[in-house]
Amino acid sequence: MKLLIVEDEKALADSIYSYLQRENFVCEIAPSYTGALERIAQDDYDCILLDISLQDGDGLELLKTLKSNHKTDGVLIISAHSSLEDKVSGLHLGADDYLPKPFHLSELGARVAAIIRRRHSAGSHFIRLDDIEIDIQAHLATVKGRSLDLTRKEYQLLLYFAYNKGRVVSRNAIAEHLWGDDTGGTDNYDFIYTHIKNLRRKLVEAGAGDYIQSVYGMGYKLTIP
Amino acid sequence: MKLFTRYSRINILASILALVLGSIGYYIMIRGILIHELDDALKVEEAEILSHVRTLDELPEPSSYRDQQISFAPAAAPVRRRFMNITRPEYRHHDESQPYRQLLFPVTVKGQVYTVSVTKSEEETEDLLAWIMLVTAGMIVILLGILFMANRLLLRRIWQPFYQTLEGLRRFDLSKRESIVHTPTAIDEFRNLQTVVEVMTEKIRKDYEILRDFTDNASHEMQTPLAIINSKLDLMIQDQQLEEKHLRQLQAMYDAVGRLRTLNQSLLLLTKIENNQFAQATPVALEAIIDKKIIQLEDPIKVKQLTITTDVQPCELQMNAYLTDILLNNLLGNAIRHNSERGTLDIVLRPEFLKISNTGAPLSFDPATIFDRFTKGGHSEGTGLGLAIAKQICDNYGFVLTYSHEEGLHVLRIQFRPSMAGGIRPTEFRQNAILDLSHE
Repeated sequence: MKLLIVEDEKALADSIYSYLQRENFVCEIAPSYTGALERIAQDDYDCILLDISLQDGDGLELLKTLKSNHKTDGVLIISAHSSLEDKVSGLHLGADDYLPKPFHLSELGARVAAIIRRRHSAGSHFIRLDDIEIDIQAHLATVKGRSLDLTRKEYQLLLYFAYNKGRVVSRNAIAEHLWGDDTGGTDNYDFIYTHIKNLRRKLVEAGAGDYIQSVYGMGYKLTIP
Repeated sequence: MKLFTRYSRINILASILALVLGSIGYYIMIRGILIHELDDALKVEEAEILSHVRTLDELPEPSSYRDQQISFAPAAAPVRRRFMNITRPEYRHHDESQPYRQLLFPVTVKGQVYTVSVTKSEEETEDLLAWIMLVTAGMIVILLGILFMANRLLLRRIWQPFYQTLEGLRRFDLSKRESIVHTPTAIDEFRNLQTVVEVMTEKIRKDYEILRDFTDNASHEMQTPLAIINSKLDLMIQDQQLEEKHLRQLQAMYDAVGRLRTLNQSLLLLTKIENNQFAQATPVALEAIIDKKIIQLEDPIKVKQLTITTDVQPCELQMNAYLTDILLNNLLGNAIRHNSERGTLDIVLRPEFLKISNTGAPLSFDPATIFDRFTKGGHSEGTGLGLAIAKQICDNYGFVLTYSHEEGLHVLRIQFRPSMAGGIRPTEFRQNAILDLSHE
C-alpha cells in the first residue's frame, strides 16, 4: 500500500510517517504544494493525506487537480481550520474523509485504514483478527462463527483496536473516538474502563483469546499472537 | 421627566406669569382710561352748571336720572373741588349698591355758597371692563392651548433624529454588522451627535473585529503545535522500553494537551457563533434531539446513578442543527457532570420553553456570572465555556437563557418565545422592551 503525506509541518509529517510506516504501508512525504503536485503526477497512491493549508498553495486546488485527472487515489484532508466550510467543500470536491487538527495518530490510522478498505477490497467487508471476524457492513463481530452481543460502543472499540492492531492506543484517543469533541474530561476514563472490561469478557466468553491488554492504565493494545 | 414635559412646564409657567401680570396692567390701564372719560363727562356738566349760574345767577333744576344725578346743598364754606368714587343704593333697586363717580364743586348764587354734586353711574364702565377682561381671559386660554400643542408637535418632530439615534444605539449589536440608521437633519447639534455616534460605533466595531480575528487566528495557529505534541505522545507510548513512571507522566501530558484542545475548539466555536457562521437553519424537533442526547450521555448517567424524568411536549424550532446539538449537549452535559451521586435530572419541554433542573452542590461562584466565559467551580475539569457557548447560541436566536436556584435545584431555562400564561414578563424580552420604548 502506498501513502502520500502532504504536510509542510515537518515534525507532524515525521510523526505520521513513523506511525503509518509500520503498518506495512510505504509512505512518502511531500512537504509542499509543488512537491505534492509532482509526486501525484508521477505515481498513484492508495491514500493521500492532504493538509489543505500549505505555505505555497491551497490544498483544495491539489484535490481539484487530482479529480480532474481522474485519479482514484483516496484522499484524507487534514486541516488546522476545523471549519465546517472547509469540510463541506473538501468532501464536495471528492475527498474521502476530513480530520481536523489536532488529532491522535490512532484516529488517523483508523481513518486511513477505513479509506483503503473501502477503495480496494471491494466486496470484502470483513476484517479478520485471528479467530475474530468483524463484518463492517453489518456492524457485527463473530468469534468462530458465533456472533457476539456487543453494544454500539463495544463494537466501535473493537473496530478501532482492529484498525490500530499492535499499537498502544491512549485513553484520550479512545475517548475522542467514542465521544467526539464533547469529552467529559477524565470522567470518560471510567467509562472506557467499563466498556473495555465488558468487551474483553465477551470475547473471552465466546472463546476468543484475551487480545486486549492494558498498558499501565494509560492506554490499551490489541495484539494478535 | 421627559425633555418636553420639563420644557413645556417652564414655558407655560412663564407664559402664565407674563399673561397674568400683563392682564393686571391692562385692567388698570383700561379702567384709568374709562374713568378719565367719565370725569370728562362730569366736567362738561360742571361747565354747563357754572355757565348757567354765571348768566342767570340762579341754580339750575336739580335732576335725578338713572345714570346721572345733580344735586345742590347749601354750604357754610366753599367745598374743595374733587372727584370721588362712591357707592350708593341703586336707583331703582335699593337693596343693591352700585359704584358711582362723583364731582363736588362749589358755586355761589346770590351770595349763598352751595355744594354741587354731579354723580354718574360707573355701571356701564364696569360692564365694558368686565367684557374686555373676559375676552382677554379667553384669549389667554386659547393662546396657552395653542402654545402647548405647537410645542408638543414641533418638539416631537425636531427631536425625531435624536430619538432615532437613541433607538439605534439601543439596538446596536456588536456581533451584527449593521450600522445605526440616521435620518438627515438640519439641526447642528443632532448632526454632531450622529457623527460622533457613527465614529464611535465604527471604532468599537473595528476594535472588536480585531479582537475576534485575534482569537480566531490564535486558536488556529495553536492547532498545529498541538497536533505535533499529540502525535509525538502517540508515538512515544508505542515504546516498550517505557516504564510505568514515564507513562504516568505521559498521561498527564495527554490530559493537558486534551484540555488545551477542547479549550481551543470551544473558543473557535464561540467566535464562529458570534460571527453568525451557522446561519443555515432548518426546522428542528427538540424532543427527538433530547431523546438522542440522553442515549448519548448514558455512560455518565449510569455511573452517577441519576434518576431522569422527562416531561416533554413536541417543540419545533427554526435553528441550525449543529448549534441545536451543541446547545443541548452543553446544557444536559452540564446538568449531568455537576450532578451529585444518585441525584435527579428533570427535563420539561413545552412549545415555548425548555427547563432543565438538576441536583448538585451549591455554586462556588456568583450565580450572575454563570454564563460568563471561564466561570467554573473549583473542581470542574471543564473549560468554563460550555454555558457561555449555550448563552451565545440563545442570544443569536433571541432566546432567553436564565439560571435560578429553586428548592435546592439548579434550574436552567430557555424561553424560546414569550409565554402565553405569563411566567416571564414580556419586558424581559429585548424585542418587546424595544417596542415599548419606541412609543414615546
